[in-house]
Amino acid sequence: MIDLLNFHIIPGLVLGSIYALGAIGVSLVFGILRFANFAHGDTMTLGTYITYTFIHLTPLYGIVALPLALLIAVPAAMIATGLIVLIIDRLFYRPFRNSPVIIVVIASFGMMLMIRSSIEMIWGPQLKAMITGIQPPWFFFDTIRVLPKHVAILIAALVLMGIIHYLLSHTKIGKAMRAMADSPDLARVTGIDTERVVKATWMIGTALAVAAGVFLALDGQMKPLMGFSVLLAVFASAILGGIGRPYGAMAGGLVIGVAEELSTYPWIGDGPLLSPGYKAGVSFAIMVAMLIWRPNGLFKGKVF
Amino acid sequence: MEQLYGYFLYSLSLLTFGGIYAILCLGLNIQWGFTGLFNAGVAGFFAIGAYVSAILTAPESPRHLGGYDLPIPVGVFIAMVVCVPVAWAIGRVCIRLRSDYLAIATLGIAEIIRLVFKNELWATNGARGVSFVPKPFEAWDSPWDQIAMALVVLVIVALLYIAIELARTSPWGRLMAAIREDEPAALAAGKNVERFRLEAFVIGAVVMALGGAMMAHYIKFVDPKMAEPLKATFLVWVMLIAGGSGNNKGAILGAMLLWFIWSITETIAPIIIPDSFAHVVYPFHLVASWFLPEAWMATPIAPDPVTGLDSWDSKAPFLRVFLIGLALQIVLQKFSSGILPEQRLQSLADTDDASARAARSSPS
Amino acid sequence: MLKTVKQVMLAGSMLAVAMTAASADDIVVGSAAGITGPIAELVAPIVAGRELAAKHVNEQGGLLDGDTLVLAHADSQCDPTAGVDAGNKLVNIEQSVAIIGASCSGATNGMVQSVTIPAGVMSISDSATAPSITELDDNDLVFRVAASDAYQGVALAQLAINAGYTKLAMTFSNDDYNAGIASVFEQAFKDLGGEITGSQMHEPEKQSYRSELSTLSGGGAEGLALFAYYGSSGITIVRNSLENGLFGKFLAADGMFDTSVIEQIGADALRGNIMITQAASDDANVSYQAYAAAYGPAYESQGYAASAPYAAHGYDAAFLVALAIEKAGSTDRAAMSAALREVASGPGTVIRPGEWAKAKAAIAAGEDINYEGAVGNNDFDANGDVTGMFSVNTVGDGEGYTTDLIR
Repeated sequence: MIDLLNFHIIPGLVLGSIYALGAIGVSLVFGILRFANFAHGDTMTLGTYITYTFIHLTPLYGIVALPLALLIAVPAAMIATGLIVLIIDRLFYRPFRNSPVIIVVIASFGMMLMIRSSIEMIWGPQLKAMITGIQPPWFFFDTIRVLPKHVAILIAALVLMGIIHYLLSHTKIGKAMRAMADSPDLARVTGIDTERVVKATWMIGTALAVAAGVFLALDGQMKPLMGFSVLLAVFASAILGGIGRPYGAMAGGLVIGVAEELSTYPWIGDGPLLSPGYKAGVSFAIMVAMLIWRPNGLFKGKVF
Repeated sequence: MEQLYGYFLYSLSLLTFGGIYAILCLGLNIQWGFTGLFNAGVAGFFAIGAYVSAILTAPESPRHLGGYDLPIPVGVFIAMVVCVPVAWAIGRVCIRLRSDYLAIATLGIAEIIRLVFKNELWATNGARGVSFVPKPFEAWDSPWDQIAMALVVLVIVALLYIAIELARTSPWGRLMAAIREDEPAALAAGKNVERFRLEAFVIGAVVMALGGAMMAHYIKFVDPKMAEPLKATFLVWVMLIAGGSGNNKGAILGAMLLWFIWSITETIAPIIIPDSFAHVVYPFHLVASWFLPEAWMATPIAPDPVTGLDSWDSKAPFLRVFLIGLALQIVLQKFSSGILPEQRLQSLADTDDASARAARSSPS
Repeated sequence: MLKTVKQVMLAGSMLAVAMTAASADDIVVGSAAGITGPIAELVAPIVAGRELAAKHVNEQGGLLDGDTLVLAHADSQCDPTAGVDAGNKLVNIEQSVAIIGASCSGATNGMVQSVTIPAGVMSISDSATAPSITELDDNDLVFRVAASDAYQGVALAQLAINAGYTKLAMTFSNDDYNAGIASVFEQAFKDLGGEITGSQMHEPEKQSYRSELSTLSGGGAEGLALFAYYGSSGITIVRNSLENGLFGKFLAADGMFDTSVIEQIGADALRGNIMITQAASDDANVSYQAYAAAYGPAYESQGYAASAPYAAHGYDAAFLVALAIEKAGSTDRAAMSAALREVASGPGTVIRPGEWAKAKAAIAAGEDINYEGAVGNNDFDANGDVTGMFSVNTVGDGEGYTTDLIR
């Protein structure tokens, strides 16, 4: 039974918090700009590669330990990636603010191809490693085993979500964002500078995407398709939480992450409940079921 | 002369591929262009068409279900028939979802369909695919086999075009347009909106299955990679939007044009990127490499050590993908309603155009 | 309207430039590879191997009357649709004499069945290993220097038995390469008296495989037979297993053979714990040494190792095509496959990688030649397949792999 905790629930929570960070960005963009951003996964990848470059650029590289280098490099990469995304928004999304939704969805699809191919051109298709070697786990009560990097990822994700909560509920820009997500017309009438809100949305969404990407690279692989491979799970998380609802997205991510891992637990007999080949389908199945039976998400979400 | 003959054969393959994508685009046009159903699961219906027809017509194999050896037209027809209940069931539960929600649901369902084909080894040989799928007229001598294949696809496109145009101007088509433009009014007029939408969804899906089946017979091979969303769903969407959604000519033009760009850019990408560009970038990289660790740049932007060619050459495939993305952005910004915009039916054109479009575009 | 016409004309003229790029003195050989797509990281060193062979040919006198061998690259993306499109371009636009590739079995299956066999163009793949390619009705036009999965799976099973394993768990990535070799291994291992305690396929490109591995580890297996590409899921599985103490010993096929496995996991954790079979790479073989000596220094700066999976196959495939053209004495497509069979197997003067000038002289003198390639003797059987030879790689005392040929 302890295996359930060690190998299913804890990794599921780690995966889930990565999905959650990505899903908040998707959810915010959907809430404010009202389109499903297909380039979000590749934004994650871009942020990860920029972080990687910054780590190696840091004069302290090789002197400071990786966690410290990450603390310096990740925020820098968040800003750099955010600025790139702002330029992308200005050039490729802003012209379509008043166009049919499908146009900007297709534009984000084009952007996905452009970001990915740029990464392949600049950094190459070869695998990179953010972290090398094997980390022995920490033991608690002799039976519970947790990897130090998982503890770090979970804590960092919690801190980031706390910051987002503060931003959304206690700052002026956060309140403006929520107002705009609830009713764009009303927000405009009340004198909210919508373009400023849009900029803030991109910066926040991108910052979280960078964090999610770096966590992904710490826990698994770093390659040009890494972000795209989690994109659909991230969408599923955003839907599950009720799209446009950042808090829902957090919960949605955790649920999807844990559900994916639990689907392969041997609940009945010795074999996995579901062939691991179908693991990727779990998040889609949950997503479709939610859309059909509870389209508002786990929490009260918006139905656009 | 041989070179010219080569161009001729290549243009036949362009027409065949373009034609198959045109079939998919026409199917999507029924769903999106005429009815406003945001189906992002083209790949699912494509996969059903491709696999069913392939398994029914391929020779017996120990690796997968098969050995039925049916003639190709029968296989294609059954593939389309099989698609009806599947599309009906999907539509039944999803059709009332609006806009992006429908898109994300269908995207998820298409992925599940693909996973089923990938995991049910006994039926489909999984990731290793179904091979030896017969191709129409393959016994004929070159180039007649290829001409015949291209003609078959183009005739299907032409027939579909005529049929859909007829349907569009029929009372059924007018009702569809009315539902899309002003659903409350259609409801008020006592029309069963959901049923008509479901009809459009199923018909579109069957056309997509036809496209999938044609692809399987043309490639002579099916595997789950062919049904990945990038090439079987998103590319079709891009073609339709670029060509002009709601316009059947636009759908066909978009498919042909985009496939042409997709295919031909590979040959011209290394040529339109001047070598000198690499020489502009190279010095910067060289300077950077003096004080940066080598590790952070995978491939230096320097001439390839063996061929002496600029490494832009080896990066051309990535650059090509980048250019396709950029071309898409330009098309979207220059022709936001497609190269051939929709020609609205006279009876509907009377309503305020701008407000109708706004109503359609706004997600609420 | 006029503007559109102009644009069309501009596009047309660019096309014309593209199509006349190959001059009269160039002999074009098509090179289809999955340059972009899911195994891009594996394909880059293979394409480099092909380029190296072309360079050797061109530096040592070129083809026929001093013509240049030009490789025309097309991206088959590991996708049958793209494979057909790539094949069409190489056969019809580039007018390739023969085609090397494609990379993945699926793309190769599509390309050869739909394009190259009907067009009568010979193709020789350097990394497609699916058994279904053997069965093609191909008019002797489809060859490969990569051995069918049927051979490597058996070799690995035998190796496992010899190393004393009797109970193994196995997991394989659900793709055209790994699923194929896994099924052969499973059968062979059972036939040799071994027991498979659990077998699971997994979806590649996931971030964690801990749950799957935890289920598999329950059966009391002595080790894990792992069939995956190192980049898609292999490294993650090894790391998950070691970090959580689920499996300590690994057996793998050549999708896992890459130095990045050692770089990312660390040599200490793998020392004595991993065995990876690989087609070719017999360090003691003269032919392999000749190839490695040329490949290593040339591509060091790019980060490609001579031992990268199928890179040597890429070299051999390209070199064999060049030999076939030289032997045929013309660029006649129809003459290629017979000429290939003549140069690939004995009897005749032995030619090794890099020895183009020697081969050219021998052919000019009317002698028979026999190419002994970097990956083995490359003697094709009736189906155009090679038996291949395999080596086993372990992590020894150093920081890299120790390679031994399997006899």
